[in-house]
Amino acid sequence: MPPWSDFEPFIVSGLALGGVYALSGVGLVVLYRATGVLYLAFGAVGAMGALVAWSLVQAGAPGWISWLVCIAVAALITLGYGLLFGPPLSKRDPLVKAVATLGLTLVLYGVMDLLWTTSGGEARSITLPTDNSGFTVASIQVNWTQVIGLAAGVVITAATGAFLRYTNLGTAMRAMANDREITATLGVPVRKVEAAAWLGCGVLAGVAGLLLADMVALDATTLTFLVVSSLAAVLIARLRSIALTFAAAIVIGLVHDLITPITSLTNYRDMTPFVLAAVALLVVSRRQVMSRSREEA
Amino acid sequence: MNRHRHAPSARILIAAAGVALAAAGCSSSSSSTSTTTSTPPPSATSAPAVAAVSTSQCGTKPGVAATGTPIALGGIVTNQPGTSFTDIANMANAYFACVNANGGINGHPIKYYIETEQTNPTQIAADARQLVDTDHVVGIVGNTSIIECAVDTPYWAKLGYYVIGSGIASQCWGTPNNITVNMGPRYSSDGAVQYAIAQHVSKIVFDQSNVPGTGYIAAGPNALAKAAGVPITDLTENVPISDADSVAIKEVDDAGPNGAVVLNFTPPEALVILKAAQTLNIEDHVKLWGCSTPCNTDFLAQSLGPKWNDKLFVNAELAPPDSTNTPTMNLYKAILKQYGKAVSGGIGSFSQMGFTEAEIAVHALESITSGTYTVATVNAAFKAVTNYNTGMLCQLWTFGNYPMHIANNEDYTVTPDNGKMVQAQGCTLISSVDPQIAAYRADAGTAALAPVAP
Repeated sequence: MPPWSDFEPFIVSGLALGGVYALSGVGLVVLYRATGVLYLAFGAVGAMGALVAWSLVQAGAPGWISWLVCIAVAALITLGYGLLFGPPLSKRDPLVKAVATLGLTLVLYGVMDLLWTTSGGEARSITLPTDNSGFTVASIQVNWTQVIGLAAGVVITAATGAFLRYTNLGTAMRAMANDREITATLGVPVRKVEAAAWLGCGVLAGVAGLLLADMVALDATTLTFLVVSSLAAVLIARLRSIALTFAAAIVIGLVHDLITPITSLTNYRDMTPFVLAAVALLVVSRRQVMSRSREEA
Repeated sequence: MNRHRHAPSARILIAAAGVALAAAGCSSSSSSTSTTTSTPPPSATSAPAVAAVSTSQCGTKPGVAATGTPIALGGIVTNQPGTSFTDIANMANAYFACVNANGGINGHPIKYYIETEQTNPTQIAADARQLVDTDHVVGIVGNTSIIECAVDTPYWAKLGYYVIGSGIASQCWGTPNNITVNMGPRYSSDGAVQYAIAQHVSKIVFDQSNVPGTGYIAAGPNALAKAAGVPITDLTENVPISDADSVAIKEVDDAGPNGAVVLNFTPPEALVILKAAQTLNIEDHVKLWGCSTPCNTDFLAQSLGPKWNDKLFVNAELAPPDSTNTPTMNLYKAILKQYGKAVSGGIGSFSQMGFTEAEIAVHALESITSGTYTVATVNAAFKAVTNYNTGMLCQLWTFGNYPMHIANNEDYTVTPDNGKMVQAQGCTLISSVDPQIAAYRADAGTAALAPVAP
């Protein structure tokens, strides 16, 4: 086992990675709660927004405009999908809804590969002004983008929690999460509430895409499939609790990175999200079985 | 009525877990004494200004379009999301278009068929049969595929085709019927590690994508390091890399302050690691960083910025296009400009490879004096190419009758210089400490250095 000092830098990187997972995870949970859709295209729409932003910067556009466009592109794609496919799929099984978003993922992935090809060895990056300043922890430079990434996870989690709890729209979303048809019967404009959820999720996808393009990579494949790791956090939270999603994401990020300096385990660290999710699901299932047994007794 | 319509059913949770695991599975894709001969580069390196060059030089009858019976050639390239080698075939096609517009091959235009594949062995085998049975190609040029060499080599051998391409799989170098203009991941990594050893680093960390064949690739760098008495640590990373910070920290910690980190990744993945090291401010925590040929792209130099000038050293298998001003390099740029609209990456090692393969093929076709272009005559001409000066490679290029072909085994080293890749070291022989290089030189000898400015 390496000495503790070897682990210190990985705490910093693990927190940043956890923040990354949390950003996506919270967006996934919010949309699922409001619409019943597990939005597997979350990473792809973020990637699309980031690549459009990169193209704008290359064309000479100011950075802040490209950032706004990144968020707008992701929001519009997500809203457009929600308006177009949300109603016809609303009564279908959640599994069908999730698979439908895989279709959107594949379409976006193909378009990105066509427009931002890698055939000539292209390697792209987005650099935010906050990359160039920061502070040092355990001999590792922590830049303000990483801090923003982690802080964004905290703020978005808290703000989303407050929104769902204290606003009429949030209350409507929670009601729809419990029962869409009864909520509609009570006069809640279901379509509008769902549209708001799609739009919010798209905005989060854009923010996450922009930050991840800087912190991880501006690459269609990487960003599209990064959502898979976030799914583990979402699964641990059983697609319900955004606070638990955030906590799970941070734990996953920390455990993942703290394994890195352990030679015998380092090649298996990418399994971390799924191992933790599997363990969490097994524990939850066992508790449910025991709880039911007690009730029946 | 469903009371908990949006409560996560077991089905959706299981489905989500399934998607996660499937994607995770997809992401886990993919040393004797070293005597090196350092020589000056054969190409004149000077101001990057491009001299005025007419593309009419590419043919024997400037301005006269070829109208004879077409000579059919073909190539198979990988083209799938994240991995596309179409620039190589498209550049070869641009060269052939130039030749056709300027006399062709004794009046015969070249008709070039490009088949693309998605790493599917059945599809690749079908592509080969399509080229032979339907398109009736008489020669295979420009093949660049992740697994094509492994799939089709027996077929080409059976029919008597001698393939000129760019290699990835080990069979592209280790068989009698395949030859490449590039060195591929193993020998290019050899070159990067060799450069690091020459800078007297105390340790090497060699990191590459976790894809099939990592052991074959790592064997070369390990042989070089062992012969030099330099400790080496082999690492592999699942791609796409999502935890670049921890990868960079691990590499730097393992290498130490006088060590070197040598990467063998595609440009996007290498950029992810290098950028992470930069943002963590640990790029100077090692003596130097190295990289195999894929990093030799201005895209990477531009994305990284000046902090990596003289810090990152990249093996370059072909002459640096930005700092080379020779007639051949200028012809390449002129053909690219006039005929290469389909070459999306523009100037770069991929299009250089396509240019080089096409010019070798044209040179071979022009040597056929009988005027008969059949599988037998064309492939005999390919195989007979000897000591040809491509103007792109350090050495003279020979196909020859050998059990294996590593015709390009002498290379450059480049480093970023404010958004461009510029030459850091001239032509240097890859060490024959690598047993594969030693075996090839035992058969073919060591090719002579190409004369300056062909």
